[in-house]
Amino acid sequence: MTPIEIGLISVVAIVFLIYSGVYIPVALGMVSFVSIWLMRDNFTLALNLLKVAVGDSAMEYSFATIPLFTFMGLIVSKAGLGRDIYEVMTMRFRKVKGGIGMATVGANAVFAAVTGSSIASASVFTKVSVPQMIAQDYNPRFAVGVVAGSSVLGMIIPPSAMLIIYSFVAEQSVGSMFLAGVIPGIMLAVAYVAAIWFMGRYTPNFVGGRVVDDTEWMTPAEIASKTLPTLGLITVVLGGIYTGWLSAVEAGATGALVALVIALVRRSMSVKAFWDALLETGHITAAILFLITAASIYSRMLGMAGLPNQLQDLLAGNSASFWMIMLLYVLLMLFLGTLLDTASIILIVVPLFLPLVEAMDMSLIWFGIITVVGAEIGLLTPPLGISCFVIKSTINDDRISLKDVFMGALPFAFVMLIVLFILIEFPILSLALL
Amino acid sequence: QETVSAVVIDGYPDRAMWVREFTNFFTPEVDRRLAEAGDYEMSWQENYGGSIVKPRGVLEGIQLGLGDIGIVTTIFHSSKLPAQGLAGSTPFVASDARAVAKAVDEIAREYPAMQNEFAAQNQVYLATGVVLNSYQLFCSDPVNSISDLEGRKIAGAGIILRYLEGIKDVAGVRGGLTDFYNMLQTGLVDCAMLWPEAAATFNIAEVAPYMVRTDFGSVNSKTVTVNADYWNKLPDSVKDVMKAVAIDYRDHLAEITMDVASKAEADYVASGGTVTDVSAEERAAWAEAMPNIAQEWVTIQNDNGEDGTAMLASYLGKLEAAGFVGVRDWTQQ
Amino acid sequence: MLKSALAGLSRVANTIAIAANAAGTLAVLGLVVILNVDVVARGVFSAPLKGTYEIVQLSVVLIVFLQLADVVRVDRLTRSDGFLNVVHNRRPKMAANMRRIINAVSAIFMGLIAYIMFPEFLKMWETQDYFGVPGLFTAPWWPIKLVIASGCALSCVIFTLKVITAQDRPHLVRAPEHDEPET
Ligand code: NA
Ligand code: NA
Repeated sequence: MTPIEIGLISVVAIVFLIYSGVYIPVALGMVSFVSIWLMRDNFTLALNLLKVAVGDSAMEYSFATIPLFTFMGLIVSKAGLGRDIYEVMTMRFRKVKGGIGMATVGANAVFAAVTGSSIASASVFTKVSVPQMIAQDYNPRFAVGVVAGSSVLGMIIPPSAMLIIYSFVAEQSVGSMFLAGVIPGIMLAVAYVAAIWFMGRYTPNFVGGRVVDDTEWMTPAEIASKTLPTLGLITVVLGGIYTGWLSAVEAGATGALVALVIALVRRSMSVKAFWDALLETGHITAAILFLITAASIYSRMLGMAGLPNQLQDLLAGNSASFWMIMLLYVLLMLFLGTLLDTASIILIVVPLFLPLVEAMDMSLIWFGIITVVGAEIGLLTPPLGISCFVIKSTINDDRISLKDVFMGALPFAFVMLIVLFILIEFPILSLALL
Repeated sequence: QETVSAVVIDGYPDRAMWVREFTNFFTPEVDRRLAEAGDYEMSWQENYGGSIVKPRGVLEGIQLGLGDIGIVTTIFHSSKLPAQGLAGSTPFVASDARAVAKAVDEIAREYPAMQNEFAAQNQVYLATGVVLNSYQLFCSDPVNSISDLEGRKIAGAGIILRYLEGIKDVAGVRGGLTDFYNMLQTGLVDCAMLWPEAAATFNIAEVAPYMVRTDFGSVNSKTVTVNADYWNKLPDSVKDVMKAVAIDYRDHLAEITMDVASKAEADYVASGGTVTDVSAEERAAWAEAMPNIAQEWVTIQNDNGEDGTAMLASYLGKLEAAGFVGVRDWTQQ
Repeated sequence: MLKSALAGLSRVANTIAIAANAAGTLAVLGLVVILNVDVVARGVFSAPLKGTYEIVQLSVVLIVFLQLADVVRVDRLTRSDGFLNVVHNRRPKMAANMRRIINAVSAIFMGLIAYIMFPEFLKMWETQDYFGVPGLFTAPWWPIKLVIASGCALSCVIFTLKVITAQDRPHLVRAPEHDEPET
């Protein structure tokens, strides 16, 4: 067998093993290990590659962004900042058909700017938003769909664990990736709001809900106390990165400290909750970085097999058009998105396509945004859609089935796909802020 | 005719000058000379840009046989390759890549220290590469004399930061090449230490239009090495060709470095930068105020059982013969 | 007899994992503290700490490999177990066996890493190799190699115990720690 053949078989084997339930880092690492062994017919060499990859993959300064932003996000959700933003938003949107849905999207977009994960967004807003919508006679499917759809914003609007992961694989600056995510994230939020308006107008039954005429307005002081902490945190983190005063790592640390101070001032954090947040941060960091380490073994294996270059030659030989490659890329991500989590999708597809994109002279930052948005559609699609699972397990209501959550999320997944194609066609949307 | 295969690795991408020239100069030159003799031909497999190792991983990659030949960036490995810090530990001597590359390379051949270091990592030293003409200081405000720098914040990386110990109350801020623009723009630092070619690449003139020609000097940072097991199996004639081409590659890189540097400095001025010269007295005063890092280097060599004292003297002697005399005699305590 | 020995071994492994986990957790806290001190020292007092960069690199490795065994213990290593759950509903025996095989393969993988990293630790211990810049900040390599080797070795043990005791239960999604406090 030629190295290329071994490389190709190994990719198929990895996907197969992952789908059968093997831990993803183990599948990536073991298959790559065996592939190199076969490819070079040298067991020691395979061991040595494992040694180099494990040794120097975790040892990376910018990796520190992962624990720091995770910690900040956990503290922020425990401090109740998501609920506050939501309350202010609903006050503004009450009178519109589907308005409370739009408020959820808006609150999610703001909350997204202080948390790095979609899981946090999904669980927070399931609790604060779904019961309210159901109380106002909204269709439960619509209610959970809105939360699922807008939770995705958590990982597109910076800070975002996925943008960080991409920046490692593609060797781009974390700060640049964050800035690139701002406009696409806002665009997606606006598209969701437009879609909700559209659904309220043309499929009112799917939306449901009644107009509420309670006139409980908050005082300006109340509004300030509910929004200023979040806005302050956004200013520190994104402002610090944008002005260059803080590196992405430092912004994470400063953001975490500010979040802690906010939680302390509001007396919304027990020692136990604090320790839990730290423990949880460690678990998430270890899981993600071990996955990244294994993925680096995999991408080195691909490099040894010469697979990315072959793919490049193959597509160049067939004079594949830009859109053909992109379509192939999106389809692959959607396929993997049925069963894989976002990070794994990014780590599997990017090493394969990166040389291709470089050869086409496209911006790797733009490509990162495409990748993250495309891979995140998988959060909403069955059978494995993490956001939908989180909502189902948080909601704890037998009248709403997992199927309802998926059905409700479907229109939003579709909106994401449209936005994705717009982002592909107009790279300036991702690059304007750089 | 027999075919010899070689896997070449570097963690930097092929657009990096030394990688590009390895492909455009080293490999074709080896091929050409082997073809003249007619006994062997090479089959090169080049893996750059992190496809097998990252920039820091080249040393270990060659050691473990992931690549047969590689370009090790030595400044990452001050603990495993202390002797390689020779040029970095002797600032204010020679701002000429050609002279420094040749002098370091000759020290590597005449004394066992550098070869021993690489041998301990299971590899054979081939040649020294110098890819920058001289570190200079780039500041956002005018600097008329060195005393203007007192109390400022200055960005740099690695041993270069230690040069700042010669100025009162200066804070050295660690940063990479890609960070300098932002750091200077926001006022996080007042100056940054880098070389003209890098300054041009990262548009430093926009944020730091005042270059102070401190002439800290050229620093060797790239060494071509070969995996020892692979080397031992090579036919002697191939070894000889590689050794000879490695020396030509060393000089070729240094030539390009100097050309690129003078063009970069012209570009810097063209895009609004001004260059201030520093008098020999001021440079001498700076150097005198520094701790003697060259002697620290000597101590490390001597502790390792190498003749550090002689190496330093011989190195400075070679530079002097080439016309470069430092502002401070680093051989004196 | 064998059973109680296994239970004892399990308890020891789990206790070590939890302790390492707590240590890794403190590393997270340390990261927050040192970076903020550095930002303030640099911005306000023009005196950045030396070695922050190296300490950050070091703590990332510590966090990952100190926590790894605990991640394995609570079964939170990234996986996609949709198919396994389907099998579990129809043929629970078969699903249990699949899980055993998967855990065995995982134990081998972790064991391999531990096996190649341990000699690396010994070598670094002997040579006292360091990273960083002499005169500014240096830290020895050996603790890093030791933590990687022992973290993976412990993970290997825990995976092996999971194979023997077959106590690895399927869950859908485990994210209770993202909950807001009930108010
Ligand atoms: Na976010
Ligand atoms: Na999915």
